[in-house]
Amino acid sequence: MTTEGQISNPLPAGKMLALTAVALVVASLVVFGAILPAEFNWDPLGLGRVTGLSRLWAPKQVAFDASGSSVPVAREYAVGFRSDTIEIPLRPDGDRRGGDELEYKVRMAKDATLVFEWSVADIPNPEEFYYDFHGHTTVPGAEMTVATYKQATGTSANGALTAPFDGIHGWFFQNQSVNPVVVRVKISGFYELIPPGEAGNEARIVANVPADKALGAK
Amino acid sequence: MPAAARSFCCRAMRRTAPIVWATAILGVLIVGAGIESALGHGIGGKDAAFVASTKSADILPFMYLGAKHMVTGYDHILFILGVIFFLYRLRDVLIYVTLFSIGHSITLLAGVLMKIDVNAYLVDAIIGVSVAYKAFDNLGGFKTVFGVQPNNKIAVAGFGLVHGFGLATKLQEFKLNPNGLVANMVGFNVGVEIGQLIVLAIMLVIMLQWRKTASFERFAVAANVLILTAGFVLMEYQFAAYFGAAKV
Repeated sequence: MTTEGQISNPLPAGKMLALTAVALVVASLVVFGAILPAEFNWDPLGLGRVTGLSRLWAPKQVAFDASGSSVPVAREYAVGFRSDTIEIPLRPDGDRRGGDELEYKVRMAKDATLVFEWSVADIPNPEEFYYDFHGHTTVPGAEMTVATYKQATGTSANGALTAPFDGIHGWFFQNQSVNPVVVRVKISGFYELIPPGEAGNEARIVANVPADKALGAK
Repeated sequence: MPAAARSFCCRAMRRTAPIVWATAILGVLIVGAGIESALGHGIGGKDAAFVASTKSADILPFMYLGAKHMVTGYDHILFILGVIFFLYRLRDVLIYVTLFSIGHSITLLAGVLMKIDVNAYLVDAIIGVSVAYKAFDNLGGFKTVFGVQPNNKIAVAGFGLVHGFGLATKLQEFKLNPNGLVANMVGFNVGVEIGQLIVLAIMLVIMLQWRKTASFERFAVAANVLILTAGFVLMEYQFAAYFGAAKV
């Protein structure tokens, strides 16, 4: 006899088990292949990377107020002083492969300081070059603390940065002009370069080489 | 079926076809609205700000939030769909939905008022289990696979308790002002029931029309396997979140 609220012809046990197994497999594919990569940056099947769903994920961001921090005016560091010149080639605006913009950062410990100077030539109108000077933490599995130092247009800037927290700090450059350009960044201080391909230097920029050699082999 | 009856049925179907489509589209829109707030189905944005700013009894807005939570809550909707899928008599529909309502009202009120602390991910995972459970049961799985038929009324009321904890955890995420808390909770609860009636009415209209067609017999099994799959997805996703993935 049928129970109320059920199908009038219950499925045979074998078919029921097979259908349940199918449902479990499909559900697991959806969860492990799509939802976990997109929502939690957890990609057990590698499908998130293949399908690009992993790119949907971003860590939770916490804005950091960089204006109010204070450090002693005189300080010493355990790491050595260094200077680097980075030449960054950027394609004209609208490049199909996104070659008209990139991000270059260096790793800094909290309270470490660098001084910088950067400029870009061949931009007829200074409003056609955008930069976002910022830093963020890179602790796996934690919220991302983000400090924005400056977002503006212009073709050069010079100044100094004292890192408000351990993390990666640097610039996002975007060429909005019709010319291919080269950004020359000079930095000195207490920091580490980020190896090409890692977070902060995804564009694989090689430091201290001319612009035509700066885009390292992929 | 005699020819006369068949032609009447088809005429009736033609006449009601626009209604079926309209309700189906409405249903999809509502589910869509749920997906938009999806996966972390909770109270967010401006609604959260409102709840936090409440300083006294504010029954109607809380009622609205309760109704909104239910109407956009695909997990609760899937369970109710599973429960009424094969209920052909209105009396049975009312009995089961009432049992579900009693269940979730108890834990919603008790959970919030007695500050019972349950993990939201675990509760949502068990809500996923409830969806899968009912779909499995709908196809007669417990009888044919395990040889026992659990009491469905107890199951629905019991899972109602779990759904109520789910409702409670969403509210507990916010700083609820003790002033007017009881009134606001009751308002939220009444809103949940109103939202449930809205969902149920739309669902019944669609189901009643669908059952009249030949496709119901053909696709009823498939539909329940889909509900079963959705239940597994919710369950696995929430368990994954519970085991640390959501901290990021």
